[in-house]
Amino acid sequence: MTSAAEIAWLIPVLPLAGAALTGLGLISFNRTVNRLRKPVALLLITLVGAAAVLSYTVLAEQLAGAPPTEVLFNWASAGTFNLQMGFRVDALGAVMLSLVTTIALLVMVYSDGYMAHDKGYVRFFTYLALFSSSMLGLVISPNLLEIYVFWELVGMCSYLLVGFWYDREAAAHAAQKAFIVNRVGDFGLLLGILGLFWATGSFGFEEIGAGLTAAVSEGSLSNGVAVLLCLLVFMGPMAKSAQFPLHVWLPDAMEGPTPISALIHAATMVAAGVFLVARLQPVYEPFPLVQAVIAVIGTITCFLGASIALTQMDLKKGLAYSTVSQLGYMILAMGCGAPEAGMFHLVTHAFFKAMLFLCSGSVIHAMEEVVGHEPVLAQDMRLMGGLRRFMPVTSTTFLIGCVAISGIPPLAGFWSKDEILGQAFNAFPLLWAVGFLTAGMTAFYMFRLYFLTFEGSFRGGDLSIRGALLQAAGKAPESHEEGHGSHASHPHESGWQMAAPLAVLAVPSVLVGLLGTPWNSRFATLLNPSEAAEMAEHFSWGEFLPLAGASVTISVVGITIAVLAYALHKLDLATAVAARFPTINAFLVNKWYLDAINDRLFVKGSRKLARQVLEVDAKVVDGVVNLTGLLTLGSGEGLKYFETGRAQFYALIVFGGVIALVLLFSSF
Amino acid sequence: MPLDPAVAPEALAALGTASTGAFPWLSVSILLPIGAALLIPFIPDPGDGKTIRWYALGVALITFLVTVGAYLNGYDPSVAGLQLIERVEWLPDLGLAWSVGADGLSMPLILLTSFITALAVLAAWPVTFKPRLFFFLILAMDGGQIAVFAVQDMLLFFLAWELELLPVYLLLAIWGAKKRQYAATKFILYTAGGSVFILLAALAMGFYGGGTPSFEFTTLAAKEFGTRFQLLAYAGLLIAFGVKLPIVPLHTWLPDAHGEATAPVHMLLAGILLKMGGYALLRFNVQLLPEAHAQFAPLLVVLGVVNIIYAALTSFAQRNLKRKIAYSSISHMGFVLIGIGSFSALGTSGAMLQMVSHGLIGASLFFLVGATYDRTHTLQLDEMGGVGQKMRKMFALWTICSLASLALPGMSGFVSELMVFVGFVNSEAYSLSFRIVMAALAAVGVILTPIYLLSMLREIFFGKENMELAAHTRLVDAEPREIYVISCLLVPIIGIGLYPRLVTDSYRASIEALVAREDVALTKVVGPTPKGLIRGAVGQELSFAPAFLHAPALGGVG
Repeated sequence: MTSAAEIAWLIPVLPLAGAALTGLGLISFNRTVNRLRKPVALLLITLVGAAAVLSYTVLAEQLAGAPPTEVLFNWASAGTFNLQMGFRVDALGAVMLSLVTTIALLVMVYSDGYMAHDKGYVRFFTYLALFSSSMLGLVISPNLLEIYVFWELVGMCSYLLVGFWYDREAAAHAAQKAFIVNRVGDFGLLLGILGLFWATGSFGFEEIGAGLTAAVSEGSLSNGVAVLLCLLVFMGPMAKSAQFPLHVWLPDAMEGPTPISALIHAATMVAAGVFLVARLQPVYEPFPLVQAVIAVIGTITCFLGASIALTQMDLKKGLAYSTVSQLGYMILAMGCGAPEAGMFHLVTHAFFKAMLFLCSGSVIHAMEEVVGHEPVLAQDMRLMGGLRRFMPVTSTTFLIGCVAISGIPPLAGFWSKDEILGQAFNAFPLLWAVGFLTAGMTAFYMFRLYFLTFEGSFRGGDLSIRGALLQAAGKAPESHEEGHGSHASHPHESGWQMAAPLAVLAVPSVLVGLLGTPWNSRFATLLNPSEAAEMAEHFSWGEFLPLAGASVTISVVGITIAVLAYALHKLDLATAVAARFPTINAFLVNKWYLDAINDRLFVKGSRKLARQVLEVDAKVVDGVVNLTGLLTLGSGEGLKYFETGRAQFYALIVFGGVIALVLLFSSF
Repeated sequence: MPLDPAVAPEALAALGTASTGAFPWLSVSILLPIGAALLIPFIPDPGDGKTIRWYALGVALITFLVTVGAYLNGYDPSVAGLQLIERVEWLPDLGLAWSVGADGLSMPLILLTSFITALAVLAAWPVTFKPRLFFFLILAMDGGQIAVFAVQDMLLFFLAWELELLPVYLLLAIWGAKKRQYAATKFILYTAGGSVFILLAALAMGFYGGGTPSFEFTTLAAKEFGTRFQLLAYAGLLIAFGVKLPIVPLHTWLPDAHGEATAPVHMLLAGILLKMGGYALLRFNVQLLPEAHAQFAPLLVVLGVVNIIYAALTSFAQRNLKRKIAYSSISHMGFVLIGIGSFSALGTSGAMLQMVSHGLIGASLFFLVGATYDRTHTLQLDEMGGVGQKMRKMFALWTICSLASLALPGMSGFVSELMVFVGFVNSEAYSLSFRIVMAALAAVGVILTPIYLLSMLREIFFGKENMELAAHTRLVDAEPREIYVISCLLVPIIGIGLYPRLVTDSYRASIEALVAREDVALTKVVGPTPKGLIRGAVGQELSFAPAFLHAPALGGVG
């Protein structure tokens, strides 16, 4: 019997086949296929489900101790070069496969409810399947080159899905921004891959690691160049995993439909950068400088995301900055040389953050019943409040997510985040302090989101707030309100398609952390048995308890402030903090001014440069041509002469040729 | 036309295998469309061109099948040398012979030509103005272009090169847009100006060394040209082919010509005509003048990088859709230059693949531009917007083709650019610092390309519908014919993207032989242990070698 690992290539191919089929159908028989909503959704969900089953089998095999499988073939070759492609299944890959297929499957079920009234339903499912396929392909890539291929493909899917509602200007800009910022990262990634290939002659992770170390120790490659190459490659993960300063695309990408935010921009694609860094550990490990840079970038990102999240009023943007911050934690773990910890946080975060985003989708879906399909209104927490009474499932699961991400034991976030902080404490105490502080901020902003959304009284019917919000966004006030008289007065809980995935995700959000307890981490055992054994051996309650106790304490402090400010209204943060430090407040509200700098420096700058080059092209380069034309032919009339005078002209050419030949031969 | 084995047997034996008595595939594929074009005046047609277009489509398809037949029956991809050889003495006194053949450099492009032409005929379905002349010219061009790639005699090449000018000129001047006269004249001036150098170089090379002049590639390749002569001939040919490719700053005819042409002509211009420049560079500059190539190659790389960045920026600033795509063509051709100058089998192979790939992608984009113009009646991006609301299939096709053009993996453009990158970076012919700087600059194109292509998509399709546009025109979605044309182009684009060896294996042997020849020349020019391509001693002998050729050696570590 063949093992599941040998047919693991089917995992990305199955959704791809489905996406190709419906995609072709959409282009050739648009109307018919668009009407086949349920059959298409069923087909694609089945295919992703089959991929999920296969992934679980692969994971089970890996748990049982199966060796890694790698299959390669020659993809392109010229001369002595062979570019190889194929697939590779190992423990890390198997974990990611199961994670991606699980969340993709749940998100697809959820989307059936969320997108039920959208005219692009079939297109949406096609994109989802395409994305799943690309992401799964990335996970099983055996070398950097193939990773780059799928890296770009998931980027494309993200572009398509962020711009899904293409009649919205904001979505169009966000999609483009996401793609281009990612291309900036890919610029470094591509150069880094090329450079590493030049230095080591390989695209494989282990080979590059070994080759690079050997080249540096032999002295054929200077340490600086090796570090530079490593950092160039790191630019890719920086863009994809939204690390400072290339994180700017992720919050904007929330313009896409919410299931996408959950799947791509919280759980899977943005984690691809972390995954790649984990894959590249053999390359990065010998260079402490690289590790330090990675850790610092991770810490900055982690703090930046949390600090901006403090002031966000848009529910999805708040979650988006929270994602940025959590991704920072993962990268910090990678920089501390603890890829298992980072990967573990990736897994736990994927579950609870996907759940939180799906909850927010459920809330937005419900809000749209009341305020209409205007994202400025439907996503703003100033119009929410008191939703717990109307949406029990959503509010309960959201609360579980908040507790999990805040790091309260025994929920998932506690174990993974604490492991990272523990590693950071040993490697870079200063960075640990920042991460520790951020943990408190995380607890605060998450509970702020929860209280503003689900507790208190419902404010969605307040027309004066609506008007103010629309005005602030520069949009016309609701003039067609009378025509849409059918809006409900209060929101309703979403249907089973949306509620069920929330409930399912709540289970791992609570329990999955227990797989990674520091004294017996099954997760680390799977990824790196020797490291895990060592960790378990060195474990002592005396070391664990103070650190864990400290992080739980700061989380509780954060939660307490949030409770005082937003549930009991004992503390008025607006006057106590925001009014007292207006600069800091403005700094945070304006997202550290990074978008403004980006716009002024790069967007406007590149446009200006391009216009100037075009001017040069039209006036100088082409000007010389036109001038020559005029000089040689006298006038525009002369051009016509030329047309009729072709024969003579050629005679002239031949004549000139002969003369030139004579001259030429006389000179030799 | 059976092969005459008595002619230059040594040369033939050295460079290729003869297929005696076989079906004359190449001659048929050249003469069939031209002959069929001559019959067009006698076709009974009520005057609306409906019969003519079916006739033209039939002929173009048969030509395509003939070239496919040639590939399948007479062509062995594992052979490096010339195949499918047919040779008939024409004017023996002048050394002129009808000599055609194909090797890895020409076969893919011959197939591309007949394929794109067949699709262009299909794209020309709505042409109702002077259909007889139009399809006559298209078919004549088909034969002429296949001839450019297939002929093995330099004078014949010159004739074919010139012959193809006339149809393009007329197609531009008669069916073009408002500034068509200007564009057509500019095109012909530029190309004819460049052709002078081809003729000069051909005559010089043919007469070089005395004896009976011969212009056949095999004979010329066997000649040992002097260094100074090689450099002169190379420079002349570089100008001629640089106009065609085009190389900045010899490119300004292209936006005008492309901007004024109708969609089918456009497809041919972008799909095939530009490739004549790249092909000729490989065939003459690299194959016949390898030592000069060893000297000039850094210049090619620098020009390639300039092409990529300069044209990407101009494309970004362009507000006219056609000219935007035209500039993007120039940008993509930069990779061909870098690949040709890379001195590596992988890079050169990538250059070849980039030509095929851009032929397909460029043709698809220009076809879409035409199809969009038919609906919006404007090419100004400012006058469009939100078109995707009504034209959803068109939107999908545009998105796919734009993604292909920005080198998305899974499509052919990615593979070719990647091969050029990897080949160039690993080329031992250049100093490390030169490679780093050039690769980094070329990679800037990776950022710039999506900027202009995605901005373009956003401005055409995204956002709220432009009321003014929607009020004036009927925005009908893509019709089956248009979807079919794009699908035909996408099949090879995606096929190559998934498994590039489909194409690369067909020319691998030839490219490897070519690069081996380059390496020999490089060793001869540079010495057996190159310390970066640009060396002090040899470079200073050349009075006219540009100063910046020396610059990369400064920090070179080899």
